[in-house]
Amino acid sequence: MSNAESITAEDKTALEEPEKIPPRRSLFTRFIDAAAILFASKTATVGLILVAFWVLVAIFAPFLTPYTPLEQDWKAPNEGPSVSHPLGTDELGRDLWSRLIYGARVVLVILPVSENVWIPGGTAIWGVIVALAVGTALGLISGYYGGWIDEITMRLLDAMMAVPIILLYLIIMAALGASAINVVLAMTIVGTPGIARLVRSLTLDIRTREYIRAAETRGESPWYIMFVEILPNARGPIIVDAMLRVGYAIFAMGTLGFLGLGIPPPSPDWGSMVAKGREFILAGSPWASLWPSVAIASLVVGLNLLADGLREESMRYQ
Amino acid sequence: MVKFIVRRFFLLLITMILVSMAVFLITEASPGNVAKNVLGAFITPEQEQSFLAQMGLDKPAYVRYIYWLVGSDWLADNKVGMPLERRVTEDGFVEWWAVRSDGARLRWKLEGDNLVAVAKLPSVGFTKEYVNNERWETAKDGSQYFWGVDTANHVVKWEKGTDTEVWSFVIGTGWMKGSGGPVEYIPLKKGFIRGDPGVSLRTGRPVSKTIFTRLRNSLVLAGIAFVLVMPVALLLGMIAGLKEGSLQDRVLSIGGMMFSVIPEFATGIFLILIMAVWLQLVPGATVFGEKAPWERLDMLILPVLTLTLIELGYILRITRASMVEVMKSPYIRTAHLKGLPYWRIIFKHAVRNALMAPITVIMLHVNWLMGGIVIVEVVFGYPGLGKYLLDSAMFKDINGLEAGAMILVLLAVGTQLFADIIYTFLNPRIRYS
Repeated sequence: MSNAESITAEDKTALEEPEKIPPRRSLFTRFIDAAAILFASKTATVGLILVAFWVLVAIFAPFLTPYTPLEQDWKAPNEGPSVSHPLGTDELGRDLWSRLIYGARVVLVILPVSENVWIPGGTAIWGVIVALAVGTALGLISGYYGGWIDEITMRLLDAMMAVPIILLYLIIMAALGASAINVVLAMTIVGTPGIARLVRSLTLDIRTREYIRAAETRGESPWYIMFVEILPNARGPIIVDAMLRVGYAIFAMGTLGFLGLGIPPPSPDWGSMVAKGREFILAGSPWASLWPSVAIASLVVGLNLLADGLREESMRYQ
Repeated sequence: MVKFIVRRFFLLLITMILVSMAVFLITEASPGNVAKNVLGAFITPEQEQSFLAQMGLDKPAYVRYIYWLVGSDWLADNKVGMPLERRVTEDGFVEWWAVRSDGARLRWKLEGDNLVAVAKLPSVGFTKEYVNNERWETAKDGSQYFWGVDTANHVVKWEKGTDTEVWSFVIGTGWMKGSGGPVEYIPLKKGFIRGDPGVSLRTGRPVSKTIFTRLRNSLVLAGIAFVLVMPVALLLGMIAGLKEGSLQDRVLSIGGMMFSVIPEFATGIFLILIMAVWLQLVPGATVFGEKAPWERLDMLILPVLTLTLIELGYILRITRASMVEVMKSPYIRTAHLKGLPYWRIIFKHAVRNALMAPITVIMLHVNWLMGGIVIVEVVFGYPGLGKYLLDSAMFKDINGLEAGAMILVLLAVGTQLFADIIYTFLNPRIRYS
């Protein structure tokens, strides 16, 4: 509370005496403020714990299990939890705990480009980032230029939004084939229209401000105005939207994996683990389908609790 | 209003055309080979080529798209020189015949160098075969050719005296070897906009026959879930909204959020494990065989329950938010100040306005609901439209995929239009111009 009051006090002095601009608060104090907001809400704290658990487990996966996710033990298929396999094994005798945490890695920490090459940033995270880049560019362009560019872009995006999302995923993934890159591509295609609409509406609003007029009078190029003047001023709602999209991206990734359209086997993918494990439920070994379901459920619930709690707390401050 | 509806209807048509084109193009650009999917991986290149030619898949994409959209029989009419007729046999297969001026129905086949006509006379009712060599026409270079309908629903250009060896595949029969003969195929179809979505490459049966059964099954599933979820979710949402911030509210809204964000397949697995494996109350999968879903209601319980839980959370949260907002509005305060009893304020004043948002938002939610249905169908092996669509997409069965896609788009855009129209009745302040 005291922090919030001090900010408004500073702002007031800044308004009254324009020559005395208060020093910009350091990154550290701002971080502390954010953390204080976070821990003030119980739901946000629970969400943060769940998300942090999966992020940490994903980062340190190699140190948390003696097995690799692909290591098979043909003497112990479909076993329940035991001392050597804390969560049990799947139908090929692979350790479920190891597959689970390497699966978290693929979602949150690495994007496997090919068998040996990977880039940092999880598949779900990249799905959101690329969609954000494309959607923002489209939204800025059609919002700033207007006219027939706007009309055509928006009608096309409207048509895309009218198509059921599952259908888009099915067609795109069935056509492109299953791979992590294609999952990112599918998420981009599905996510772009929504982001573009949001950015366009923000752009339409900001375009009328004086500083844009000023920049135009200075003779800045349209690209400069769009990306240096408009975009930074529209970042708030875009960031909030992106946070929500991460949860949905994980949801979508699991769904694609479950349908056999996600990251191809044998790499550990939660959705495909559930799909495979499902076949052995009635044979009496529920573990292989249970754990990845629990994992994906806890991660998306954690993300949503975090987002909900944050939203509630920040609204209370406003 | 009429103008608005017409405009939206027009947009719906454009969307459908765009989607159908996109499906065609994407399927076109994708790796994989429908011939290998149908015939297995061990076919010779000649067999593959012959199969693609017979299916019309050797033609350029735009030609195939036009055939798919508006049919190919009008083109083939001219080539054959007789009107063509489409008939559906008693066991559900499609047959095309050329109709002679006296009403007899004709098809042709090539036996050695002889052209054999298969004729069916409606007056007599039996089939007659006779050599029909007088129909050969001579081309400028002296070779002979003939355009006719073959016994597997193509219009075929036969050439005589060529030495080419031709393999032809008849779905249901197998490979047939012939000499000389067919050089060009036009597969006969009426076209999507004339009510014929074509024959499924996967099953060899008309898509329309399968897809309506599948659509019916999906609608049964969604319908039962909808009827169950609506009253419960609206009631719980209103309770949560009236007691904003209370324990009940927190439990309901956090619980609702959890059910609506957990992926459908995870919810399904939890339910199977709890209800079918642990408690052994209901079957954990759906096997209907030839029966309709409503004849085995016990198998419907888990799929319906899964869908219900997912939708419950979503509708509950919207109703809650809308209720909270309405209860804060000035006219409710006025009602309080007038001294009206609490329940009268809620039922007479608040509910009507609070329900407006959820009802229309639910309509817009159909788009998402479809995704849920597809997953639920896959989890429980339910024979619905979603599973059909998934199978068609994996098989590259373009006719099945296009028909399923068109139905989904029609449903999604149609319900949105419906929601907009309903909204004007619920909220007379809104005008579309």
